[in-house]
Amino acid sequence: MDKLLTVTALRRVVQLIAFAFFVYGAMIFTTFYTGDKLTQNLPALSCAYDMKGGDMCTLIPLQHQMDHRVSGIFTKNAKVMEALMGTLITIGTVAVLILILNKAFCGWLCPLGFFQDVFTMIGTKLGLTQLGSLSRETVNKIRPIKWFIFLFLVLILPLLTGIGFLGHEWGNPYCSICPSRIMTTAMTGDMSQIYISQANTGYFILSLIADLLFGLMVALALFVRQPFCRICPILPMQTLFKKIGLLRLVKNGNSHCDTCSSCVKACPMDIYEIQNQAENKNITHSDCTLCGRCVEFCPHDGVMSFKYGPLTLYGSSKEGFKKRTKIDKWWKG
Amino acid sequence: MKKILLPLLLTVTLWGYGDGVIYWAPHISHGGEHSHGDHGGSSHGKHGGHGIGEATMLHAMNLEGNSSVTLIKPDLSKEDLNLSDTTLNLPKASIGGYYALILNHHTDTQIDSAIRYLSIQGRPSKVSPSKLTALPKSDLEIVPNPLHREHDRYTASKSYRFLLHFQGKPLTNAPITLETRDTPPQTYTTDNTGAFSITLPNDFKNVQVGKSENKPSEFLLVAQHSDNNLTYKSTLTMPYSLNPNDYWQSQSYGAGAITIGFLGGLMFYRRTKKGAKNG
Repeated sequence: MDKLLTVTALRRVVQLIAFAFFVYGAMIFTTFYTGDKLTQNLPALSCAYDMKGGDMCTLIPLQHQMDHRVSGIFTKNAKVMEALMGTLITIGTVAVLILILNKAFCGWLCPLGFFQDVFTMIGTKLGLTQLGSLSRETVNKIRPIKWFIFLFLVLILPLLTGIGFLGHEWGNPYCSICPSRIMTTAMTGDMSQIYISQANTGYFILSLIADLLFGLMVALALFVRQPFCRICPILPMQTLFKKIGLLRLVKNGNSHCDTCSSCVKACPMDIYEIQNQAENKNITHSDCTLCGRCVEFCPHDGVMSFKYGPLTLYGSSKEGFKKRTKIDKWWKG
Repeated sequence: MKKILLPLLLTVTLWGYGDGVIYWAPHISHGGEHSHGDHGGSSHGKHGGHGIGEATMLHAMNLEGNSSVTLIKPDLSKEDLNLSDTTLNLPKASIGGYYALILNHHTDTQIDSAIRYLSIQGRPSKVSPSKLTALPKSDLEIVPNPLHREHDRYTASKSYRFLLHFQGKPLTNAPITLETRDTPPQTYTTDNTGAFSITLPNDFKNVQVGKSENKPSEFLLVAQHSDNNLTYKSTLTMPYSLNPNDYWQSQSYGAGAITIGFLGGLMFYRRTKKGAKNG
């Protein structure tokens, strides 16, 4: 029983409940229609294509607003405020949600994040050699991809579509390649999102990328921690507001931090920066999902902590580290 | 053999879409397009399925004599409308969401009703469409359970559930007929909760590649029930679109691409494992 009393175990329970709500919520909470959704702007990949979902990701309204509303500034001489109002409401809603839970939407609530975690657990139990931490160079090469996806697939291409430079297939290109669209719908028994489109070149390319990416993500998740999260465009969206988030990762480092790299090894996103010296500082990085593993695996008292406003929710400790390491060994066999 | 062939031949030759019942049909212009007003909705065409535009002119088919038309708005307020002969021009929509259009027609022995739901863009009503479907509209009523999502549409080859209510209560073991213009009628029976499920036929002709290139078709559900020497008939009509997975989208190729992606990931695993072994 004592084994269950860890941040990771609590996170798994929360992730499971969140998965049930975000993937099957409409069956339980009658959130079938758009208007019934909890936020309609969730900063996590809960897909709007899932007809049984409890809420929907903020990226779909954002792309549609670029395509149908913001583009009106250029094509219909629409008033700027009128054209931007929807986008401002979307961004404002995300800001409020980030204020409440910050980047924990990724580490604790995202259905796709949990899906990948489950495959990593399966890979571990199958005895596949886990890749562990990616090198700093590899991480630095991967990091800009999420910004590229956010800027081009979420904002620029839909805007160009609305203006008329591109065909309709580029109106929501991120959704067209998102693995969560395939995963969430398939989990409800709807296989209609698995396809290769031959409608035109654009649709063909996007559908091919989507299927290849989904297959690749599933295979990588068996031995790499959170492969898709590293390029997810939700992270840049959250980064815009991470400073206002009440929930945050705080570090009050000591001299041991220069030689100890337990936190980096524990981090599923391979954020090397958390090892840097910091004095009572908010170190919630752009890539951080606030999973809490760095706090669990820090062997020093009070160096790493989860804080909510002025409250310390959980802090690192020698005892906690020993317990967590023991559990990790037990889990990995 | 004759016993099988003759009724089959009769069914095929005598069958006519919507014969003997009143139902709503969108006005089709000479160009074959639904007529659209200034509801802010786009046409069924280039928009690709979001904020489905609705015909603003509808016809009450097979209607003879006096009738009443009621429009229930997304905020559940009601407005009585007048037909011009059998044609209805919808008033300009002030709010967005689902509208229910109800046609009632009574004679001494028969009570007919025709219902159609319309999805119109505009300022959100903040009322769930489930409240609109739950609102009683006629004695005998076919209720979508649920009505498809705002950004979705009824699609061929997919199954949908409905309920049959008589005076607000489920009507069990009752026959329901599904009619489309290009498929012979199919009969379903409600279960012991008054529910039934239909699969919309893939009966589109001259299909062009691309959702926007193909106009939606119409399906008609017909229910009939007798009680206290009165015959009740009710219809529900809605548009439905073709399913791209039946035409230019290949699901088997999609599954193949996922497999290739998966194998690519496994090859990467082999490489990293080899790399780890070699130090």
